[in-house]
Order: sequence, then C-alpha cells, then structure tokens
Amino acid sequence: MTVSQTNNERSMEDARASIKARRAARLNAFGTSAFGVAVGRAVLVVVLLGIWQFGAGWLFDPFYFGTPLAVFEQLLKEIVDAGFYHDLGVTAVEMLAGFGIGAGGGIVLGVLLARWTYVANVVDPFLLALNSIPRIALAPMLIVWFGIDMASKIFLSATLVFFITFFNTLAGIRSVDQALCDVARVQGATDWQIFTKVMLPSASVWIMTGIKMSLPFALVGVIIGEFLVSSQGLGYRLNAYSTSYNTVGALSMIIIMMVIMMVLTSAVDRLEARLMRWRPTGRAGPTVQP
Amino acid sequence: MSNPILRIDGVTKNFGGHGVSVEALSRTDFNIERGEFVTLVGPSGCGKSTLLNLVSGLVEPSEGTIWYDGRRITGVNRQIGYVTQQHNLFPWRTLRDNVAFPLELAGVPLRERNAQADRWIKRVGLVGFEEAYPHQLSGGMRQRANIVRTLIYEPPIILMDEPFGPLDAQTRVSLQALLLSIWESQRSTVLFVTHDLTEAIGLADRVALMSARPGRMIRVDTVKIPRPRNIFFIHQNPEFRELHDNLWKDLAAQIHDGVPDQQ
Repeated sequence: MTVSQTNNERSMEDARASIKARRAARLNAFGTSAFGVAVGRAVLVVVLLGIWQFGAGWLFDPFYFGTPLAVFEQLLKEIVDAGFYHDLGVTAVEMLAGFGIGAGGGIVLGVLLARWTYVANVVDPFLLALNSIPRIALAPMLIVWFGIDMASKIFLSATLVFFITFFNTLAGIRSVDQALCDVARVQGATDWQIFTKVMLPSASVWIMTGIKMSLPFALVGVIIGEFLVSSQGLGYRLNAYSTSYNTVGALSMIIIMMVIMMVLTSAVDRLEARLMRWRPTGRAGPTVQP
Repeated sequence: MSNPILRIDGVTKNFGGHGVSVEALSRTDFNIERGEFVTLVGPSGCGKSTLLNLVSGLVEPSEGTIWYDGRRITGVNRQIGYVTQQHNLFPWRTLRDNVAFPLELAGVPLRERNAQADRWIKRVGLVGFEEAYPHQLSGGMRQRANIVRTLIYEPPIILMDEPFGPLDAQTRVSLQALLLSIWESQRSTVLFVTHDLTEAIGLADRVALMSARPGRMIRVDTVKIPRPRNIFFIHQNPEFRELHDNLWKDLAAQIHDGVPDQQ
C-alpha cells in the first residue's frame, strides 16, 4: 500500500466522520430549538390521541374511556349549551370568592401575626392543629353550617387557600433582611414606611408564591364541595355525568377544568413575571409547604 | 474652645447575655470637628463597626454618652448618614429609586427627587443605569449607589463602614478618588472605618487607631498632606510613608496581641 493510498483512505474516513458529526450537530440543534421542541410535543399529542382513538374497542372499552372524537363532539355540544354556562359561572364565582376570602385572609393575618409576635406565639400550635385537619373531612360540616348553596363551597375553597397564603406571608415577613430595615430607619423612615416600603415589597416574593401555590386548591375545594351536595356548578355536572355512566360527558368536564386551571395559572405566571422583574434569576420563589 | 459636632464621651459597649458578656468597646473618648474627615483603623473585631452603630443610634451604649451638636444621641437620627459595608440596596427598586429613596421618605415630590437622583447618578458615573436593578450592577457600581443615596439627603455627619472593603484594589482606589473629590467640594463630616492603612491615611484629616478588643483609642494622628490629594500616588508622599510606618508598628502590635499563644 502506498503512502498516498493510505492518505486517501484516511481523508475518506475523515470526511465520513465529519458528515456524521455534522448530522449529529444538526439533530442537536433541532432538539434544542423552540421549533424542534414544538414538533416533539405535536408528535406526542398525536401518538397519545391516536392510541386512545384507535385503541378503543380493542385495547380498552370505549364505554369506560370514551374516544377523543366523542369527547371533542361532547365539548362542542357543551359550549352551545346554556346550562353549561350557568354551571361554569357558578363554579367561577365560587372559586373566585373562595380564593379571594382565603388569600385575602391569609395575607392579612400573615402580616398581622408577623408583626405581632406575642399573639403569633400563642396561636401557633392551634394554627398547626387547624391546618392538620384534612380539609375534605371538613366539607360535610361546612354543608351543615353554610347550607347546600354556594356559601359552603366558597368556604371549603377558602380554608384550603387560606393556610397556604397565610404561612407563606408569615414566612415572607419574617425573612425580611433586618439590614434593609435599618438602612431605611437611618434614612428617616417611620415604622409605617418601613412596613410599606421595605417589609411588604421584600415579602412580596413569598406572598406571590403563596398565591401561585394556592390557586389550584381554590378550584379543588369548589369541585369537591359541588360533588358532595349541589344542584349546580361544574362539579355537579361532572358528578351527574359520571353517576349516569356518561364517561364522555365526564371527561369533557375534566378537560374544561384543566383548561380553566391552565389559563389561570399562566395568567398568574404572567402577573408574577411582571411584578417580580427585579429578581435576579428565574421565576422560582421560596416555597413553604403548609 | 472648639465646638465638636460629635463628642464620644466615655462610651462602653458590652454585648452578650446568658452569662457571657463581651466588652466590644471600652471607655472611649473621641471628638470630631465640623467638616473633618476622620478614619478609624484597628484590628478586626476591635469594635470599629460597633462605634459606628452607636453613633448612628441603631445601638445604645452600655455606658457613656454620645453627643451630636450638643444633643444626646438616643436613637436613629436623619442628621447622621450611614454607609454600610454591604450595599444593602433594595433589590426591588431601580438604581434611581434606590438613590431617591431618602427623599421619597421625606415626601419630596417625584419629579424633583428623580432629578436630584439623576444628578448624583451622573456625578458618580452611573448614567445609563438609572433603570437597572441592583443585581444587574457590578460590585463597584452598587457601592457607588450605596454612597450616593446617603449623600443625596445631605446629612451633616456621614458614617462609612468599610464601604470599599468588598471591592477589588483598582475599583477601590478609583472610588476613593471619587469620594475625595465629592467630599472636597461638599465638606460634610465623615467618620470612615477601614482596616486598610493606605486608605485611612490617604483620605483623612485625622487617623484614629484602635486597640484590639476591647476597643479603645490608642493614638490619633493628624495627616498633614495638603488637599486636594492625588490618591493614586499618595504612597510616594514622604509624609504618607512616615505616618504609615509609625501606624503600622502600632497596628501590627495590636494584631499580634490579638493572636493567642504566639510561639
């Protein structure tokens, strides 16, 4: 074998290797690009829905699991049904009221107790005890106390939301950097100014986290309340469908709830990104599990 | 008789509780004249920062009294500004809003306080960063902002606790020069803590040397180097060298004393 031949073979090998490397790099670029990720997601959706659609009657019984097309048809029927909008409205009002009462109460009480150390020390074990009640177990009593109308759902939702925002607010105010308060005081801040201009903004990250974490529970509380006793609301509708073995109807309600939650969560994410744009990295705030 | 703006009169400060008590500062007497730039040097943990906390009114002396302009200091006081070692800027406020904060507290209208803040921002070379948040600024920029937000409300006395401590050597010298040029045009009274002798001599009218804990003044020297000074070449000044050598001997002895069981 001559030298030139060897050289030739070597350069062929190099060329092949570089083609391979280029192909790998292109795949890699695709995998990290937004477009590549979107394609991957689309493929995943098609595959899963395909299995569901075409596996029906063969892999599983459509009586229990429905089919994507049937659910889609059902959703089209729902969105032209006045009854659906009534139930949607009832659930939305219950959820917003529950969230408002729970989060408002949690933030206000969190701030008060963070400032009022003596009372906080006194009530601390009782709050822990209250928070240890499985809230679902409270639901029947709430119905006894507040009746079978919207009030009982609102309060169930509020008890779930309250403790999450309360503990986050408390931790947030307590974790305020004393040095920042001292700086403000030296510069002539009154106690009220320190509270509004240093403590609240500093705790806002925690409060925001509390709001984000508690939002899904607002809907959970309402739906469970509606399950137990009710004559209206999305939870009632879901319950009515599932108890009559209308699985397609029930699945369509679950999808509606999912969409509601996704819309709300992304709205809160957007609000957070806007309010917290001063933060150095990412959107992850501190978390305190209640 | 002179009428010092600040009189520290037999001040002692003990820390602790639970049966353990540490004397951080022991029967310290010191006066500062109006418009004077005094630096305070001493070994780590000698109570320099404690003295500043006492003067600022954030901490109360265990014994003795501190007088500001003939009045006893009993709490924080807008007459006395305090530049801390950590920048302590509010992370949720932009540079401009941080600098304007003391004016906001005093109820200065928005337009006016922003205009003032922008003037100071320009003066320390931070133009273009008015809308930046603290995490977007470098260490030197943050420290400039930290100094400027105290200067903006013009407290007659400014306390500075190693404001250039966390910075690299070159940034530090350039900020020292900036501080000197501002001070030379403004002449407020400054009490500046540092552990860097070059900085202490270069900036000051008088250098006070403190002993290891419990802190006490062991010597006070007047720096006769004329102003305006060029801090970049201050080390070439014979006056500077002589004072540096003398102070270093005493400071070294204090550092040595502070280390237990040497040899």
